[in-house]
Amino acid sequence: MALLSLSDISFGIGQHQILRNIAFDVAEGDIVGLIGPNGSGKTTLFNVLSGFLKPSSGAILYREGDITALSAARRSRLGIGRVFQNFGIFRDMTLEENVLVALEALPKDRRIQLGDLRTVVGETLEMVGLSSHAKKKAGCLSGGQMRLLEIARTLKSGKELFLLDEPTAGVSPKMTGQVADLITALKREGKTVLIIEHDLPFIGSICDRVIVMDVGQIVLQGTPGEVKKSKELQEIYFGADPTT
Amino acid sequence: MQLLVNALIAGSLAALIAGGLALVYGVLGIFNMALGQLVLIGGYATWWLYQVAGLPLIVSILGGLATGALCTWLTFEVFVNPFYRKHRFLPLVTTIAWSMILDGLILLLFEERPRSIISGLPEGFILWGAHISMQQCVLVSVTVCALCAFGYVFHCTSLGRRLRAVVQNTHASLSLGINAPLLYRAIFIMSGVFAAGGGIFIGIDQNLSPTLGFTYTIKAYAAIIAGGKGNVWGAVLCAYIIALLEQLLVGVHWFNAFYVPAGYQQTVALLFIIGILLLRPQGLFAHKVRSA
Repeated sequence: MALLSLSDISFGIGQHQILRNIAFDVAEGDIVGLIGPNGSGKTTLFNVLSGFLKPSSGAILYREGDITALSAARRSRLGIGRVFQNFGIFRDMTLEENVLVALEALPKDRRIQLGDLRTVVGETLEMVGLSSHAKKKAGCLSGGQMRLLEIARTLKSGKELFLLDEPTAGVSPKMTGQVADLITALKREGKTVLIIEHDLPFIGSICDRVIVMDVGQIVLQGTPGEVKKSKELQEIYFGADPTT
Repeated sequence: MQLLVNALIAGSLAALIAGGLALVYGVLGIFNMALGQLVLIGGYATWWLYQVAGLPLIVSILGGLATGALCTWLTFEVFVNPFYRKHRFLPLVTTIAWSMILDGLILLLFEERPRSIISGLPEGFILWGAHISMQQCVLVSVTVCALCAFGYVFHCTSLGRRLRAVVQNTHASLSLGINAPLLYRAIFIMSGVFAAGGGIFIGIDQNLSPTLGFTYTIKAYAAIIAGGKGNVWGAVLCAYIIALLEQLLVGVHWFNAFYVPAGYQQTVALLFIIGILLLRPQGLFAHKVRSA
């Protein structure tokens, strides 16, 4: 059963069409990579999926329910979590508060399931090796640590579908490994992940399926191996080979 | 000493008005130019309920705060909410229009002559040569208590954490499921309640006059610009600094030669804004965080 289903999603600003007839399904438990050159509409698609932008046409189904008209906050409460390209953390709040505020925003029944929220906060920070910084302001962390904090916070706040927008951008190679471990842990827990990345080997190592976008539309999709071999991908990223 | 006492009183009033507004500016990034008129509405409503309708003072004060909240809600729904998403400067224009309408209404309803709320509290006392009235003591204490209570809610409760989250990163807050639009309204209305509280303060300590509105708007914005965007405590502290500078400007016998006329007191806030924008545009107490 598809956890997320997009049909005929289009979005434009004035005459400029940014997304054109996007349609795909994401099965529960899958990790799906979304790749494409800058300006191909990947982050816009995430903004449409998260509820920050309203599509001009099409429908988004989540667990077979239509969420197209729902606000970002409502979608989050249904279990859709987002990790932002430019860090979705609260820089002037401590690490503890950053996690706590996410847990407190959960629907009451989910909060009760979690038990003592302070304990969950401690576990979350422990998971990404940030316990010793618990009382520090999040703005003092490095880019990689901010990314880990954001992913761990989203993970612990009981989301089912994760939208990760370039989670390894600005992250050191060592921490990229930690980010990859976290995403793999998500898969082990049966979570579904949609991930935007430019790091093709990284995408190849963790994704079940890859969708390639260019100028606002899907041009290719398949397994990482299939996509890697395709001529379209080479053309999109490196331009057409003049010898062919 | 008398200068310091006067600065403390004037600063408490400005801090009350600027504190709530700093949150509004931090969250929505907009200017509510009708703030000064909302200050006056709180004061005049209390005056009317107490002096004209004859209700007890506490009931009148609660009525004044409720009127302020209601008018602020109306300001948000009619003059801010439909516009701020289109462009953040649009509410600047719409609230200027609203402030003009309110100025006219206040003048029509309460006339031009000054109005005072006679609290009936006993006379004051002399402390280290400074005369302090009982009502000033009560007003400063209530303001400090209100700011402390607000500080507790803001820093130590779940609601406060959500408010701070929305102030710092609205998109991330929404993606966590925080109902940001509801908090926008709550913050905006709270700023109106604080402003109405300021109006009641003026009515009890000084006189209410229909022409005062713009002066308080400018003072509040000077404090929040100097405090740094969204920094409530920076704004509160700057409100006290501006009040102290105002008192020093007109209260000191400069070079043993002259006093600056009281009318120039109002220039301090404007000079403060210019100085801050030139020397430290991010504000005196901007959050220090590592850039990612």
